Amino acid sequence: MHGTEAYWGRRALDFVDAIEASKTTASVISQFEKVIHDLGFHAYIMAGIPTPGQSLASLTLANGWPAEWYALYIRENLHAVDPVPRHCLATLNPFVWAEAPYDRERDPKAHHVMMRAHDFRLAQGYCIPIHYDDAVGAISLAGERPYLDAETKSALHLMSVFTHGRLRALARPAPGAPARRRLSEVEAEVVRWAARGKTAWETGQILGLSERNVRWHLEEAQRKLRTKNKTATVALALVNGEIML
Amino acid sequence: MPEIHVVRKDNRHLYASYFDPYFRLRHEIYVKQRKWMALDRPDGREIDQFDTEEAVYLFCLDKGQLIGAMRAVPTLLPTLMSEIFPELNIRGPIHRPDVYELSRIFVIPERRGEHAGPRIEMLLLTAIMEYGISIGVTGFSIVLESWWLPRFERCGWKAHPLGLPRMIDGMSVLAVLVDCDEATWKSLCEQTGLLQPTLTWQGLDGISRQALPDVFLHLPPAAQPTQ
Repeated sequence: MHGTEAYWGRRALDFVDAIEASKTTASVISQFEKVIHDLGFHAYIMAGIPTPGQSLASLTLANGWPAEWYALYIRENLHAVDPVPRHCLATLNPFVWAEAPYDRERDPKAHHVMMRAHDFRLAQGYCIPIHYDDAVGAISLAGERPYLDAETKSALHLMSVFTHGRLRALARPAPGAPARRRLSEVEAEVVRWAARGKTAWETGQILGLSERNVRWHLEEAQRKLRTKNKTATVALALVNGEIML
Repeated sequence: MPEIHVVRKDNRHLYASYFDPYFRLRHEIYVKQRKWMALDRPDGREIDQFDTEEAVYLFCLDKGQLIGAMRAVPTLLPTLMSEIFPELNIRGPIHRPDVYELSRIFVIPERRGEHAGPRIEMLLLTAIMEYGISIGVTGFSIVLESWWLPRFERCGWKAHPLGLPRMIDGMSVLAVLVDCDEATWKSLCEQTGLLQPTLTWQGLDGISRQALPDVFLHLPPAAQPTQ
């Protein structure tokens, strides 16, 4: 056991060193996919957690789900009933899917999602919540019979969080890069309402989104524009022609 | 605007009246709120073996009230990482004159999150970089709860893991080494809107300090609206 521990500790640190030195998203993703494959995981997703009315697609940082599962998940809004993302809101620590609580009797839809996942060889999974002040996201990995011992989970936790961070860093424009449109339609819409003085709650009412949902879009706009608060996001979006009043 | 004061053995006498409330706040936050019961003491003060003469404190003071703080311990002396959590660091022990260990980073509950002025936790993270650059420190080792990592990434703190995360008292915890450099400090200053150094070095005139780089707030380039 001690041998395994030392092996995965080293391997996880080497992995982090390698992705920190990698210059492209594609290279980071391929290294990540290889290492989780070695641990029995064939699928993963890194995304913000959607709330009712919000699209998962607009919050996805990296998508390694089976294409059909992802399409089904989005088509049927399964995130709204999936106990795994729900549990992310309640815990700071990573957990295995089986630990995400739901009541099989009173919550048959939750049970249904977990069962449907089996059809796509997503029998067991491991999920790492990502908590910011104003948004929650998750990294979720799954396979048929993945390794889920304590050492593997620790190594996965470390490698996943640093992969997530590296992908975010690579998605940011390099300093001095020419300005171009970076905001999605919905992000621009939310920033436009912020520019008119609407709070997140008010914008949610206007657009039919939840307040948390609006905050997530603002957070994404902030990340893309490399600003640090709502005022700066509005100002930069205006100056760069991302929005017009 | 809150002030951040450097407190170390050379000027500790100037801050004598702050230490009792400081240790009581630590008890309130770490023992009562976060339930780190190993730190419990009957006198209601949280003081440990790393609160030595050599420890350096940043006190965030607003109108005379202590609203946040941070502790830096030289890694040439025993640290949390070397004495309490050695299993968290598999890259090898850190005993370097240019690395300090940070711990007990807190903001009082009523000043967390967004208020008028910069966020206090951002001020503290910026101020410790300024301290490090000023005295020639190149890195900070930290034992921290793992959920901090995405927040560090977001504010530009570059953290390098030293080992795997472990579950300790119900929380995932890991050891990291964070770069202390001018680029990070400048980026933090830009994020918090600070145009000049923030530290107050009261009674520390005898300490030789390295010059800090200039900070400018860059106006974003105005692009032609794309039609």
